[in-house]
Amino acid sequence: MTAVAEETGAGGGRRLRVGPIALTAPAALGMLLFFAAPLVAFTIYSFLTGRLFVVSGPATLDNYREVVSSDLNGILARNSAFIGFLSAFFSIVIALPIAYWLRYAAGRWRVFVLFLITATLFASYLVRIYAWRSILGENGLLNSGLESLGLIDEPLGFILYNKFSVTVALVHIFLPYVVLVLYAGFGPMAPSLLESAQDLGANAVTRWRRVVLPLIAAPAASAFLFVFVLSAGDYVTPQIIGGTSGVLLGVQVQAAFKVVGDFPLGAATALLMLAAFVVCYGLSVLALRLARLDRIRWGQ
Amino acid sequence: MESTQRSPVTAAITLAALVFLFLPLAVLVLFSFHSTGGLSFPFQGFSLRWYREVFGSNEFRSAVLTSLWVALPASGATLVLGTLAAYGLSRSSSRLRGPLALLFFLPITLPGLFLGVSLVVFFSRIDFTLSLKTVVIAHLVYVFPYFLLIARAALDRLDPALEEAAADLGASPVRVFRRVTLPQIWPLLVGATCLAFALSFDEFIITFFVIGSDSTLPLLIWSRLRRTIDPSLNVISTLLLALSLALWIVAFVLTLRSERRRARSLTEAV
Repeated sequence: MTAVAEETGAGGGRRLRVGPIALTAPAALGMLLFFAAPLVAFTIYSFLTGRLFVVSGPATLDNYREVVSSDLNGILARNSAFIGFLSAFFSIVIALPIAYWLRYAAGRWRVFVLFLITATLFASYLVRIYAWRSILGENGLLNSGLESLGLIDEPLGFILYNKFSVTVALVHIFLPYVVLVLYAGFGPMAPSLLESAQDLGANAVTRWRRVVLPLIAAPAASAFLFVFVLSAGDYVTPQIIGGTSGVLLGVQVQAAFKVVGDFPLGAATALLMLAAFVVCYGLSVLALRLARLDRIRWGQ
Repeated sequence: MESTQRSPVTAAITLAALVFLFLPLAVLVLFSFHSTGGLSFPFQGFSLRWYREVFGSNEFRSAVLTSLWVALPASGATLVLGTLAAYGLSRSSSRLRGPLALLFFLPITLPGLFLGVSLVVFFSRIDFTLSLKTVVIAHLVYVFPYFLLIARAALDRLDPALEEAAADLGASPVRVFRRVTLPQIWPLLVGATCLAFALSFDEFIITFFVIGSDSTLPLLIWSRLRRTIDPSLNVISTLLLALSLALWIVAFVLTLRSERRRARSLTEAV
C-alpha cells in the first residue's frame, strides 16, 4: 500500500514520510481527550470524597465500602441483573427464529422485512418508552381497550410499574439490534449445510439442536451480553414505567450526579457496575471456550 | 441464487414480532390525531388540534432549533473525522491500528450512562461550563464509532487495485481519494451521516447529563412525561418518529443502491 506522502523527487524536495495512519490523528486526539481522559478522571473521582457538588481529597475507599454495604444497592443490583437477564433472554429467543427466517426462508421479502426491523431501530428511545407507558398504564390503551370490549371490569394492575413492564419495553428497544446481530451471524452459514443435515435424516428439532444453535452460539452470546449490559445499565425506562419495584442501579447513579451531587459515590457505583459487566463478559468467553463453540469454522 | 426454505413457524414468529414492534408506535401515532385530550379507548374521532397546538408552542420550536444546533455540527464533524480515520485505518499497516481501533470502538460497548457521567466529571474538573457545546462534544464521541464502523466496512470492500493503478499513473494521494475512492463510497458515507444525525437528534441518555439550561426535543419529551400527559406529547413523538424514518429511508436507499451497483460490477468483472 502506498504512503500518503511519498518522498518526492527533484523539485518537491524531501518531505517527512507520513503513513495514512496520520489521518486518524484528529479523531484519535478527540477520543483521547473526550473519551479516555474522562474515564480516567471518573476513576480518580471514585476514590475522593464528595458532598453537594464539591469534591475533596484525600484518596479513600469509603465510596466503594458505602456502595457495597448498602442494602438498597443490593436490591437494586439484583433487580438490574434480573431485568438485564430477562430482557436479554427474551430478545434472543424471539430474534433467533426471525434471523433464521430472514437468512433462509425470506426470499424476496428479505430486504423489505430487514427495512422494517431496522426502521424501528431508528425510532427514538424515549418515544418507545412513552408508547409503552401509554399502552400499559392504569388508564392505558390495553386496559381501556379490554374494558371497552367488555373483557374486563376493572383495570389490570399488574401490567405497569413493575419489572414486567420494564422488561417488555427493553425487549422492544433491543430486539431489532439482536435480530441484526444474529442475521449477520447466520451470514456465513450456507443453506446447503442445513440441507445436508436434512438429507442425512435429521428432523427439524435435531437440525436446530445439532447444527443451527452451535453455529450461532458465539454471536448469540455477544448479543446477549450487549442487551444485558444496556438493560441493566438503563436509568430512563425504569423511571418512566418501572414504579417502585422496577428501580435499577442506574437510577441510583443518575441521582448521585443530578440530585444529590455526590460525584465520587456515583462514580464508585458506576465503576462497580462496569466491573460486574466485565466479569460477565469474561464468563461468557470462558463458557464458549469450555463448550468448544468459540472456534467453529463455518462450512460451505 | 441460493435456495429458499419453507419455514412456517419462523415466518409466523417474524410476523408476530413485527406486530409487537409496530403496534405500540402505530397506536401512539393514532392518538396524536385524537380530537379530545384523552389517551384511552374508545377513540373519539380525528382532529389536528394537537398538531396546531404543538406547532404554535414556543417551547417546541426552540427545542427543535436546539436539537438541530446540536445534531448538525455533531454529524458534520463525524463525517469529516470519521472519513479521515476510516481511510487511515483501512489503508495503513501500522502497528497503531489495533490500539486505535480499540480507542475508537470502545464507546459502543459502554452504556450511555457511563459516557454521560464520565463527561460530567471531566467537564466539571476542567471547569468547562455545561452548555450545548458540551452536548455536541458528547454526541460526537457517541456517534463517531457507528459512523466509523460503516465507513471502514465500505472502504475495506473496495478493490485496492483501482487506487494503486491511479497512484501508479501519477495521481497525488488527495487526487486518488477524490477521483477514485470517494465516487465509490460517497453513498455509504452520506447514509452513515444520516445515521449519525438521527442518533444525535434522538439522544437522551447522555444529553441529560451534559446539557446546561437548554432543552433538546428528547429533553422536552422527558420533562413533559413528568407532567400531565396529553396528545401533544404524541404529536411531538410522531414528528420525531417521522424524522427518524425519513433519515432511515435515505440511508437505506443509498446503501441498497451501492450494494446493487457493487453486485453488478462484480458480475461484470466475472
